[in-house]
Amino acid sequence: MKSTADFVSRLVSGGSAAATDKSRREFLRAAAAVLVGLNLPQTSLAGGGQHGAGGSGQRVVVVVFGGARRAETFSPEGLENIPHLSRDLLPKALFYSNARNEGVTAHFNAISSILTGNWQRVDDWGKVAPTTPTLFEHFRKRLGAAQSDTWVVASNKALTSMIGASSASDYGPAYGANVVFPKQLMVAAVANALRSGRSRNMADRATVESELESMLEAGNYEGLGWTVSDMADRLDPRVRDTIEQAIGNFVRGGGPTSGDELTFLVSREVLRKFSPRLLVVIFSDVEVAHFGSYALHVGGIRTGDRLAYQLWQEIEANSEYKGKTTMVILPEFGRDPDGSTTNGFFNHRGDTESTRSTWMMTLGAAVDKPQIIERPIRHVDLCPTLASLLGCPPMDSQGARLTELRV
Amino acid sequence: MRLEEKLPEQLQDALNKGLLDRLPITFLPFTREQLRNWDHLFPYERRSILHLFLYLASLSEGQFTALFREVVQLEEKMGVRSWQFSTNQQTIQNASLLARSPYYQDWRRAVQKVFDTADQYAEREKPGNAGGNRLILLVLPQRLPLDRSKVWQRWQGVGRPVQLDLASFSENRSPAEAILSLASVGDGRRLIDVMSSRSNASTADTWILDAGKNLVDCALKQAPSGTSASPAMLLSYERLATFRDHFSHEINTIRKDLADADTVYERLRNTDVTSWCPPEVAAEPVIREFLRSLYLSGNGALIFGNSFVEWCASEAFRRARPSCLVAQFGVRSKPKPFTSVVVFENPDQVNPLPAVDDLPGSALDAQLLALYVWLAASRYDEYRRNTVCLCMAESLSEVYVIAPPEFALGHQAKPVPLELLRTAVIQWLANAA
Repeated sequence: MKSTADFVSRLVSGGSAAATDKSRREFLRAAAAVLVGLNLPQTSLAGGGQHGAGGSGQRVVVVVFGGARRAETFSPEGLENIPHLSRDLLPKALFYSNARNEGVTAHFNAISSILTGNWQRVDDWGKVAPTTPTLFEHFRKRLGAAQSDTWVVASNKALTSMIGASSASDYGPAYGANVVFPKQLMVAAVANALRSGRSRNMADRATVESELESMLEAGNYEGLGWTVSDMADRLDPRVRDTIEQAIGNFVRGGGPTSGDELTFLVSREVLRKFSPRLLVVIFSDVEVAHFGSYALHVGGIRTGDRLAYQLWQEIEANSEYKGKTTMVILPEFGRDPDGSTTNGFFNHRGDTESTRSTWMMTLGAAVDKPQIIERPIRHVDLCPTLASLLGCPPMDSQGARLTELRV
Repeated sequence: MRLEEKLPEQLQDALNKGLLDRLPITFLPFTREQLRNWDHLFPYERRSILHLFLYLASLSEGQFTALFREVVQLEEKMGVRSWQFSTNQQTIQNASLLARSPYYQDWRRAVQKVFDTADQYAEREKPGNAGGNRLILLVLPQRLPLDRSKVWQRWQGVGRPVQLDLASFSENRSPAEAILSLASVGDGRRLIDVMSSRSNASTADTWILDAGKNLVDCALKQAPSGTSASPAMLLSYERLATFRDHFSHEINTIRKDLADADTVYERLRNTDVTSWCPPEVAAEPVIREFLRSLYLSGNGALIFGNSFVEWCASEAFRRARPSCLVAQFGVRSKPKPFTSVVVFENPDQVNPLPAVDDLPGSALDAQLLALYVWLAASRYDEYRRNTVCLCMAESLSEVYVIAPPEFALGHQAKPVPLELLRTAVIQWLANAA
């Protein structure tokens, strides 16, 4: 076995020694050693950290990744799939190595549990809103934040606008977040082109852009699952401009063209134009795993790794966010283990460690010093923690505030 | 016609005594479906359901109650009676209701316990070494680029790689086709002939699954002329293109709603699919229905050839326990720009850009899925003894061998000529027939 120092240096540099050591504990010990002594400069808590009207002045960006197993991410074998998370961000992060989904391991319930701090058990296809208030509603109701201060930008087709607000009495859509599904726009544009016999042109970037614009123009935002401000059949011009800008970058940028790329570009435009205090970005390229392509699933992890890093770079470069933003990155759950009756990585239905135990990375203002926390935490612990960070009074949650984060 | 008319007498007797009425609610959808589809069950499935019912019928009232006590208690805690739960068939709505319950995992464990108990009973009834020797042949075809240093890493030393000597192999067919075909030496018998000559042989005992079509074409050429019956269960992803197109078209009409999904699924369960099938599938109602339920169960079988092969094999092991299964993987295309977000559509219909093969991606997919096929078999007792698993990496001239000590090539150190491998396979299947 390699010495710890050797292992650590290779871990940080992405060398091959990491891939030869299969001990998770060894892996964590080594990763923790990297962080010893790496105290981060204290970031200013804009707004003085005081709670009350308007909140703490802190901003929060949550990036949810879809289902990804530890084996393909934070394990010696998985590090090659997450070069940015493991090399660029881990040394600055407060990293929870065992973040557990103890609820229903399906998308709508998993994400709404993260966003409400309570394990949700509602319709898997998003026909029913979460039953307890979301962080958006709590934040807006308690602190009077505007709707434009809270956004969800998501790729996942299993979600609907119901993810933005609960059915709890005294809360609900009046306090909900703006919710947009850029990938749905793309899916609808392709489907529309197919229906109208125009699909043969969908390889052409100009045609794709015009199809996307027509979908925006058509105004069927409810059909796309969007909830944005008080939209009726037309988008607010600022929102429309934001989406159009993102579409332009997506289509003309010449880069990759997956659903997560578009979600990232829309999220970045939302940050630039609206500077929301609470933004939740939900990637889902990894969910191609349901169709059984391991290579494309791993490709989705690599895309998520890169986009999460780019989002962090955007935060660091944006004066509205730099120094007063906490970014949290976590998968919704893992996936089923190889050899399971549920067909391994294809699905996420098993009651196994591989499915339930993942990780959570926190970066930025709430991180006093980089460290790796091995004690198990639960996904429902995140919401009360973020509520405190935003300056909200405590909320009714099955979770407990994460004390390692500075709030 | 009454539901149970075609059932075996013993099973009919048990049903006449009201066995079905005594089962817990959550057992009913599965049980009723099995009985309703009796004609389309594989021999292994029929034996299993028969054993289960005979076991249940043999229990006293007290034993019956004790066996299901935990399941019934959990159903009460879950409030199943207040759900819109179909007791007639397994639906997406049912699955969703169960999965959302806080008691779901407890329920699954309790159900498993019931089946384990019934299996123990069935085990006592079973003759020793049922089924004889078995073979699983997995093929990573020539086109897939593989890295010799990594290709068997995930198998974690459960078997060992053996080099193949293909120097003298210059035929105009793949090594896998050669293994299926007539030999120029030895007794010359073909694998399919050996399988069909085994005692109690049934078509469901041999499966050939192909992400392309050359292996299935090769097997079809071996079928005796003048018969429409297939010599084995033959499923080629490529030959099923029409079936897939029709099926996907229906699936794509599902709106984002559980009830709507169940409606579409119900329609697909009742649609006559015969005209969508290639002849070898159209002629076999059992395999036709297998295919229908395979596509309804997802897991990428409609989308990617390699997923189709893996999921087919897993379901074949679960439902038919074949003695011989050959599974060949293949090549998929790269996702196309923009339109790849709609992966459930036929990409060639949606996007005019030419399809480009993703060879490294397909190789990675196939390596893991080949392992999954072996892991799927390993779940069942039948494959823990007397089973040889060969995973052939054609581009490396190498075969990974998991075999009992008595398999002739298990300990070969020198490269093995393909003909020798073929002979060893034939002998393995023939000797214990």
